[in-house]
Amino acid sequence: MSDLVGIDVGGTFTDFVRYDPETQAVDVWKTLSTPADPIDGIVDGLDRSGDVSGIGNIRFGTTIATNAILERKGATVAYLTTTGFRDVPFIQRGKRKSHYDITWVKAKPLVKRRHCYEVDERILARGEVYHPLDTERVRAIAREIKALGRVEAVAINFLFSFVTPDHERTARQIFTEECPDIPVSISYEVLPKWKEFERSSTTITDAYIKPVVGHHLGAMQARLDEKGITRQIAVIRSNGGEMTLEGAARHPIQMTLSGPTGGVVGAKQIARSVGVDHLVTLDMGGTSTDVSTVVGGNESFTTSFEIEFGLPIQIPMIDIRTMGAGGGSLAWIDKGGMLRMGPESAGANPGPACYGLGGTQATATDANLVLGRINPANFLGGAMALDAGAASKGISEVASAIDRPVEATALAMVQIANNNMIGALRSVLTERGLDPRDFTLLAFGGAGPVHVADLMVHANIPSGIVPNHPGQFSAFGFLMTDARVDLERTAQMTSAAFDADHANRVLSDLIGESIAALEEQGYTENIEIHRSLEMRYLGQNHELDVPIAFDRFDESTMPGLWQAFHRAHHDRFNFDIPGEKIEMTSVKVTAVSVTDKLQLAEIGEAEGEPEPAATRRVLFEEGWAETPVHDRAQLREGHRFEGPALIEEPASVTVIRPGQPVRIDRYGNILIGEIARRA
Amino acid sequence: MDMVAMNIIESAMIAICREMGVNVQKTAYSTVFSEAEDFTCALANTEGELIAVADFCPAQIGGVPLLVRSMVKEISLSEIDEGDVIVHNDPYRGGLHTPEHTMFKPYFVGGELMGFAVAIGHFVEVGGMVPGGFPGEATEIFHEGLRVPPVKIKKRGEDVVEVWKLMLANVRTPRQNYGDIRAMISAVDLGEARMKELIGRYGRETFRRTVTDLMDYSEARMRAEIRAFPDGCYRFEDALEDDGIEDKEYTIRCAVHVQGDEVVIDYTGSSPQALGPINATLGVAWSASYNAMLHLTDQTIPKNSGCFRPIRVIAPAGSVMNVDYPGSEVGGNTETHPVIVATILGAMAPAAPDRVMASEGTTHGCLVFGGYDARNDEPFGALDISYVGYGGRSFADGNDATDSINGNCANTPVEVFETRFPWIVEEYGLCPDSGGAGAHRGGLGTSKTMLCTGELMISQMTNKHKKTAWGLNGGADGLPGATLYQGEGANRWTTVGEAFGKVSTTKYSNVPIRPGERVSVKVPGGGGYGEPRERDPRAVVEDVLEGYVSAEAAARDYGYDPSWIARYAKDAPLPEAAE
Repeated sequence: MSDLVGIDVGGTFTDFVRYDPETQAVDVWKTLSTPADPIDGIVDGLDRSGDVSGIGNIRFGTTIATNAILERKGATVAYLTTTGFRDVPFIQRGKRKSHYDITWVKAKPLVKRRHCYEVDERILARGEVYHPLDTERVRAIAREIKALGRVEAVAINFLFSFVTPDHERTARQIFTEECPDIPVSISYEVLPKWKEFERSSTTITDAYIKPVVGHHLGAMQARLDEKGITRQIAVIRSNGGEMTLEGAARHPIQMTLSGPTGGVVGAKQIARSVGVDHLVTLDMGGTSTDVSTVVGGNESFTTSFEIEFGLPIQIPMIDIRTMGAGGGSLAWIDKGGMLRMGPESAGANPGPACYGLGGTQATATDANLVLGRINPANFLGGAMALDAGAASKGISEVASAIDRPVEATALAMVQIANNNMIGALRSVLTERGLDPRDFTLLAFGGAGPVHVADLMVHANIPSGIVPNHPGQFSAFGFLMTDARVDLERTAQMTSAAFDADHANRVLSDLIGESIAALEEQGYTENIEIHRSLEMRYLGQNHELDVPIAFDRFDESTMPGLWQAFHRAHHDRFNFDIPGEKIEMTSVKVTAVSVTDKLQLAEIGEAEGEPEPAATRRVLFEEGWAETPVHDRAQLREGHRFEGPALIEEPASVTVIRPGQPVRIDRYGNILIGEIARRA
Repeated sequence: MDMVAMNIIESAMIAICREMGVNVQKTAYSTVFSEAEDFTCALANTEGELIAVADFCPAQIGGVPLLVRSMVKEISLSEIDEGDVIVHNDPYRGGLHTPEHTMFKPYFVGGELMGFAVAIGHFVEVGGMVPGGFPGEATEIFHEGLRVPPVKIKKRGEDVVEVWKLMLANVRTPRQNYGDIRAMISAVDLGEARMKELIGRYGRETFRRTVTDLMDYSEARMRAEIRAFPDGCYRFEDALEDDGIEDKEYTIRCAVHVQGDEVVIDYTGSSPQALGPINATLGVAWSASYNAMLHLTDQTIPKNSGCFRPIRVIAPAGSVMNVDYPGSEVGGNTETHPVIVATILGAMAPAAPDRVMASEGTTHGCLVFGGYDARNDEPFGALDISYVGYGGRSFADGNDATDSINGNCANTPVEVFETRFPWIVEEYGLCPDSGGAGAHRGGLGTSKTMLCTGELMISQMTNKHKKTAWGLNGGADGLPGATLYQGEGANRWTTVGEAFGKVSTTKYSNVPIRPGERVSVKVPGGGGYGEPRERDPRAVVEDVLEGYVSAEAAARDYGYDPSWIARYAKDAPLPEAAE
């Protein structure tokens, strides 16, 4: 077997993880990212790993699609829609971003209104053709667009195409005949779901990034071919699965959230290996923190991602909430004298005051340094010495503004930064009806392990885990992905009038299409199918996802289905309405092809007690404590101790509060709290 | 003041309100809740003070203090038990308008009543003379729907069946209303549980002290904001174009007295109360005044009763600003509220030029309709909202197609609308040229044209078919809206006034619409800000190329001619693409 390589292209660093399945050896390294052409950074990094001929499979996460969208550097798109509805992308949903902000400017869609075209055609809610497609007009528009010479991609979205896609398909056919060089995205393939604005926004975005993503992936393939790396190369998609370069170029919208998903996929495997069902992940870096959940062993998905307020992309993605809180978050005093942290960040440059790169304002990292939690001599494994004096100086300015001693101010800064993160944790837990007490907090990123212990206490999460390589955990997670396709189609019907034939047709179509989508990319083995239905009480407007285990709707399966919905509603919202009519709105199918993965290596059993390498004075909420400092590399399976403690490794430090139990498991994971007490 | 504890407890309470709101939104039946978020979740203490609230519907936020105080006047604190839920909608007992229902649930810690979890939401169907709750021709509160004074709908955790029966027997859509009530109860249940947990963690005394500090903090910040305005008396007036009963205007007049760190907003001189349903209740007068002040000040101030302490409101009884029993009032909360806000922003323009805008369209276009849903074998009622242009600002154009300032409702997608209701939507678009010209142009309103496929009764509560959204500092007014009707096979559009003999085209009740007939609702654009001739010519050209402004209007208002395209366009013109 040949090696697997995971690559996470980030804003500052590109992280690499190489895994040899024979020896289970893991090699981890970083290179500086090359934003001008990210491929340079990837190729440089691969060179650093020695013999590239041993690489059998590369999986990489990229921000190329995300950046094209956020920086508005995509293609000039033309939009074709039903007569009367050209303005749907501009009207949007009519909401303001916040109530009292008179300065808010409504988001512009990724298409110009002058590039929006209408054609006569109309399908009604139940799929009947009310007005046939004016094919001559489509042809005329296609020629007009071609003559403009400026349009680089076309998005087509007709009303109710999710019921009957014929008009969209015909229109695409005409475009392909008239302007074969311009890629076309049709809404039925991008997002076959009701709600025309969300579908238009998603389809337009797909078209918007298609040329740039296609170009980038093509160039990447060529560069890797030059290096002789021609084995399977896969991109990580927003659902945490992998897809081939060709697949990604065809459906670029699937890569909107590529990089950060690695951490969640990795978390899922950690959950399995440690034996916990529910994890909440905390990936805390320099400027932002990502949180997500693994519930019952599975990642959580969302379809409510927005490019900016009001511009949705509704394809299924791992539900990762990002907030502006990181090690670089700046302390500031608001107009009423309240101490606040972030979301403004010192970033990597100038960075926190203690970096000595010109930053003077106090950050969360400075506070952790003053509190003794971070070792100034061991930052990035000692590659960068931190200036504790500069940190104190920055904090003393904050301290005088709130009239507290420097150390107490540093502690308050950490408490407030933690409080911001607790807000993010609540948004993925309690706001979704999940009880934090059932969860384990998995902390990674450079700063996650520093805050994990405090967050466990204040967010009511009884257990915590710090995995190996917390600084490169996302790239690590890429080596644990499967190929995955999520499909969803609106099929609206009620328990009172259920069209089982239609439902069965939709279900079997989706299963067939999802398997075909995997096979098309060469993923033909170990395919698993998962099915679920979106359901609600008739009259509600938001659905619950109810998993089903059958392939046919009939008398034997339906009654159990309705019961399952009542139960799901009660579990989520604490009430149900017995006897009420139930509406099914869509059918969802996920096909997974299980691929080769990294197997976690065991680290060997402990012999005797762990020996702290040093001690250091650390300020906790309980007061100062002389705190043992452990070198993570020396810890072995079965080592147990109690906080206060610090566990240092090159990319991070794990802080343990006084009285918190710690145990090292067989794979070297640091287990904290209740989970550490278990055998 | 422990600023750290305050920060932490405040964000915990907002998270609780948000969580309550998510429950309402996900489980409610009315699309005004579930799509449009026309609800608010808040927390109050036993004094009736608002201590925390999440961003849902702004019109309702200022209403919380008066609602709680009115409720405890009738049900004393000693009569309130753990597990009770109180329901209330009466506009003459602190409510905002009849459709808005409030649920209160007390939270007790250690046997002590500490406050209330509050959920306020707009029910589409409330009985009364029209399906959908907006009888444009109501002249008494009794026409507008069922009045519910504060009563317990649950006692010690058990449903009070009599109250449920009474409420559901008086509406056209009991199944939906049942679902909406359950959704709101689930929210206050959640709020209660979370607050007990939160207070349990910090202790009653710490909690109480911190909440007191928090309100003082908001008050201090509000006072600092007000102090930054130059002292003086700032006056302005605007009007509602009619009340649905008589064809005459109703003036909203305000004098905003800024003195030091306090503001008195005096509505003396506003018209006597109207016969028709445009009157503001006292709750609306307060709520609209607070809404305007929150727009004028730093939006990061934590929202609680402390914000409102430096603000006094004088609303003469018996006027359109403070209706006397039993006058009608349902449109006061939707139509009059945004006009009040615009009037205050207009008054404050000289004092705070960068925190105001020209008038927005000030209406939600509320079109309500009801009938019989044969597919599901039950009656239905629905409310459809339209999206106006916002006013230009000193620094930016007005936003297009946005919900008026006292709401923040999302529209109902056409594909959801047609699946649910007997209409085929033929057009849903922006109205070009509807934004007032200006250095910063007013935003565009929307137009929606629908072909009816069932037997319906429609009613409407809107404004500005005759009056317009005013421009500011030399900006021009926006275009007015219109509701037009077309009979089956007819090729001419008429107003409902012409077609059905109604006094008002904006406020009317129970017009029968049959299959093959069409209705088209257009709502106003916003006013412009600043002299049109000072507008950046590149912005004028972009507007013309994008079709927001026609070439003719651009020539008239901005002195545009086609040679500007070559001179100013960022990319070359597209001869036919714009239309």
